[in-house]
Amino acid sequence: MKSIFLLIVCSIFIASCGTTQTKLEAYPAMYDQRQPLSILVIPAINNSTAAEATDYFNVTISEPLSNTGYYTMPVEIVRDIFLKEGIVDSAMVKGMPASIFKKNFGADAVLFVTINSWDKNYAVISANVTVSLDYVLLSTTTNEVIWSYSSTVVLDTTAQSSGFIVADLISTAISTAAADYVPLAQQANYQAFVGLPHGKYSLRHGQDGQDSINTELKDSALAKE
Amino acid sequence: MIDLYKKKSALLAMFVIFIAGCATPNTGYYWENYSGTLYNYKKNPDDKTMDKHMVMLQNIINKNESKGARVPPGIHAELGYMFAKKGENALAAEQFQKEMKVYPESKNFIERIYQMLELEGDN
Repeated sequence: MKSIFLLIVCSIFIASCGTTQTKLEAYPAMYDQRQPLSILVIPAINNSTAAEATDYFNVTISEPLSNTGYYTMPVEIVRDIFLKEGIVDSAMVKGMPASIFKKNFGADAVLFVTINSWDKNYAVISANVTVSLDYVLLSTTTNEVIWSYSSTVVLDTTAQSSGFIVADLISTAISTAAADYVPLAQQANYQAFVGLPHGKYSLRHGQDGQDSINTELKDSALAKE
Repeated sequence: MIDLYKKKSALLAMFVIFIAGCATPNTGYYWENYSGTLYNYKKNPDDKTMDKHMVMLQNIINKNESKGARVPPGIHAELGYMFAKKGENALAAEQFQKEMKVYPESKNFIERIYQMLELEGDN
């Protein structure tokens, strides 16, 4: 557990070495009347090789997004409504005008999330998982991008050493295969929303304009669009 | 005297931990193990995992209400949706009403859920 926090601290530290901007400069629309109150999260688009990543992601996004001060529609219900409408793949939604979601769901903004990688790495007696996610928030009123960010988190899934290298090799492989990825997905989501200006339900609403964000993380989420 | 000093430093240490805990964005919601039971339900959808998640949603509601916090977005809606799946339409409607009461901006979304469930909405 300690190593997870260390890694997160490290990645935040590394991230902060790039060019920075204040949140107000980076996302002006999030500080005027264009700031959304309600957000519809489109079930994640999974470009990684791990099919199971989508579920891990979808069950862990409501908590950090709501904690940042937004009304968040439960992803599972949204997914069921989409299925009923014949939308089986979130990529189908990308071509639609965002205003549809204003009319049909009352959402002020839609959040697209792309899972770019969910890679399990095995070394001799250590193992980790790297998760990379891109977030793009579109206004349903103006169809413009009002927020974007990239998040990468590395989780150490190495098992505790038994003192015997063969046993360690086996248990490392097992632990990576069966690791509980829910907390990992949660950390990846939490880290992304550090870059999100706080919404109306947050105590920090309107007070984080001078917080700085990494310009590269903002741009790279858009570059892959 | 030494004891008092120890007490003070323990208090100080707790205070530091408390402040450090505030670093993550926080609106004061209590989520309990929401993601955990939701994931289990998604992975193995059966009566057992469904009931466990419903109990979790009810716990989240009770905890936030007892602590004087707002119930987090979507929790009433999700519980209502699960009641509807079980055919408990009156209980479902009660939860949907609560969601709209706490979050008036959810009105269109709740109407959309009614449409999907093909239930009669009286909102």
